[in-house]
Amino acid sequence: MDIIVCIKRVPEVAEIDLQVDQTGKSIKEEGLVFGVNDWDNYAVEEAVRIKEKHGGKVTAITVGSAESEEVIRRALALGADEAVMVTDPQADGSDAYAIAKVLAAAIKEIPYDIILTGVLADDDGCAQVGVTLAELLGIPHATLVTAIEIEEKQVKIKRELEGGMEEELVVATPALFTIQSGINEPRYVSIMGIRKVAKKEVATRDLGTLGLSPNQVGPAGSFTTVERIFPPPVGEGAQILEGSSDEVATKVMDVFQKGGVI
Amino acid sequence: MDFLEKHELYACLQCGKCTGGCPVSLRAPLNIRSLMREVLMGGSPEVALDCPGLWDCTTCAICTLRCPRGLKPSEVIVGLRAELVEGGRVPKTIIDALEGTFKHGNPWGRARQKRIEWKGDTAVKTLSDEGEAEWLYFIGCAPSYDPRLQRIPRILCRILETAGIDFGSLGTKESCCGNEIRRMGETGLFEELREENTKNFNASGVKAILTTSPHCFNTFSTEYDLDGFKVLHYTQLLADLIKEGEITFSKEVNKKVVYHDPCFLGKQHEIFDPPREILKAIPGLELLEFDRCRERSLCCEGGGGRMWAEGAGEGERNSEVRVKDAHAMGAEIIATACPFCLLTLEDGAKTTGLEEEMPIREILELVAEAMGFDDV
Repeated sequence: MDIIVCIKRVPEVAEIDLQVDQTGKSIKEEGLVFGVNDWDNYAVEEAVRIKEKHGGKVTAITVGSAESEEVIRRALALGADEAVMVTDPQADGSDAYAIAKVLAAAIKEIPYDIILTGVLADDDGCAQVGVTLAELLGIPHATLVTAIEIEEKQVKIKRELEGGMEEELVVATPALFTIQSGINEPRYVSIMGIRKVAKKEVATRDLGTLGLSPNQVGPAGSFTTVERIFPPPVGEGAQILEGSSDEVATKVMDVFQKGGVI
Repeated sequence: MDFLEKHELYACLQCGKCTGGCPVSLRAPLNIRSLMREVLMGGSPEVALDCPGLWDCTTCAICTLRCPRGLKPSEVIVGLRAELVEGGRVPKTIIDALEGTFKHGNPWGRARQKRIEWKGDTAVKTLSDEGEAEWLYFIGCAPSYDPRLQRIPRILCRILETAGIDFGSLGTKESCCGNEIRRMGETGLFEELREENTKNFNASGVKAILTTSPHCFNTFSTEYDLDGFKVLHYTQLLADLIKEGEITFSKEVNKKVVYHDPCFLGKQHEIFDPPREILKAIPGLELLEFDRCRERSLCCEGGGGRMWAEGAGEGERNSEVRVKDAHAMGAEIIATACPFCLLTLEDGAKTTGLEEEMPIREILELVAEAMGFDDV
């Protein structure tokens, strides 16, 4: 069972007051800490677990700047066997469709049975790369996958549905699955582990080596372009309750009662 | 050298002094004497990696201090944890602490930019961007971020200022000291933190480092290579400043106070007297002693990564025992000199329902009261 897993380097922004940069179309990256997209981490772990159980090879792929090497090395330390990094400044400004095209071109030269991606990325939250990639490759896909069981020439998976329901599907391989967080408990990747793969080869690709022309990627090759990004305007209706914990708790109860919550 | 040789397991007498002194052996599935034997007989650390009590050890080091053969059972635990870390087989809460430290420089994974939030209005110069100083005050992760603890460094800064001490801090450049990280088995991350902090210490231009926490103090003085630097826990400096008359008290604290020795200050470094000297110097304060004090002090269970791992132990926590003991002897306050002890003992006071009767205070909070600082 050969597996390709697509990963992305994203900023960690949980506690940060993000600033819009000069272009108005992106955020200031100074002082931000980057790491592997959380969903992708589950995808890499799942791929490595399948390999450990059924054999085969795991190849991690990323499209991004040279700094993306840190997430690719982390994937190798976690247990991926090979790594491909597509870096080309001409791909800057690509939307999910254009990124999927780059990935499809890179994947053309790698044999696989299944492809795993995260459901979505922490930063832009599009949730489109996985499904678009499947379409471009002409293979079936399933999203929001919470369990994978490998069978002969097919895979039994569970998907998360609304309202706490789950769906079980049997999908013929080759196929692509977008992995939901919580599908497994990703193992810890130690600093020693990362040091051990420091010299492992990472195959680098650019548009030329993938046979793509600049107008197929970037803004020219995208269906969507970012017009501007901005913090949402402050709305009305928020109340800030003040006082001691006891007083605030009493006021909250009051608000709940008046609002018919309890 | 293999694991057995490295930890000199062949030399173990199986006398049991380690387990006899262990503060968690009675409530957790951890028997260090037996574990040492199992690893020796099994010929590899692998046989002990599924021991459910491996994350209960607080690395208080009483086993190492009491071993008649000079072995280091607590380091065997750290070594076993390192095996688990390298295999990625680590509890989720520990993973979060390690990854938080790797990415943000603190085990809570809080933003680096917020590391100086504790300051409030306190003016502290950042070394060496805003000048030079004689002392580098290393705040520590817990006092930097924990709302209960943030006043502790504010108080110490005010005391140092009053005593005319020339000091500064590393500001947002300060990263976790790595004491707990090493004890959670992440040797590689510890080495990176040590390298980064050492570089910052050298660049700061100081020759003396002062810490809030005994844990930072421990690793700087025994696990870093800080030749030419003086490293002190704040209680050592404060006791001297009081003796020299640089700190004077204007108010009485008329309370019976029992002092809880932190393991990384007391038993591991024999700094028993400076904290007591500070407390005794406070007018009106009556110092009481636990039966289990000084070398025999009962560990609060906050060390060795336990701030991020509940452990498998059941029944009464040591912090609850401590609070009950203090209450029974008629103490009105438990004082300590460690951020972790403060938090774990406060938890013990809450879970025993003695929160009102048994307040837990940092020594610095009592000093602040006696110095008449009522707005820190």
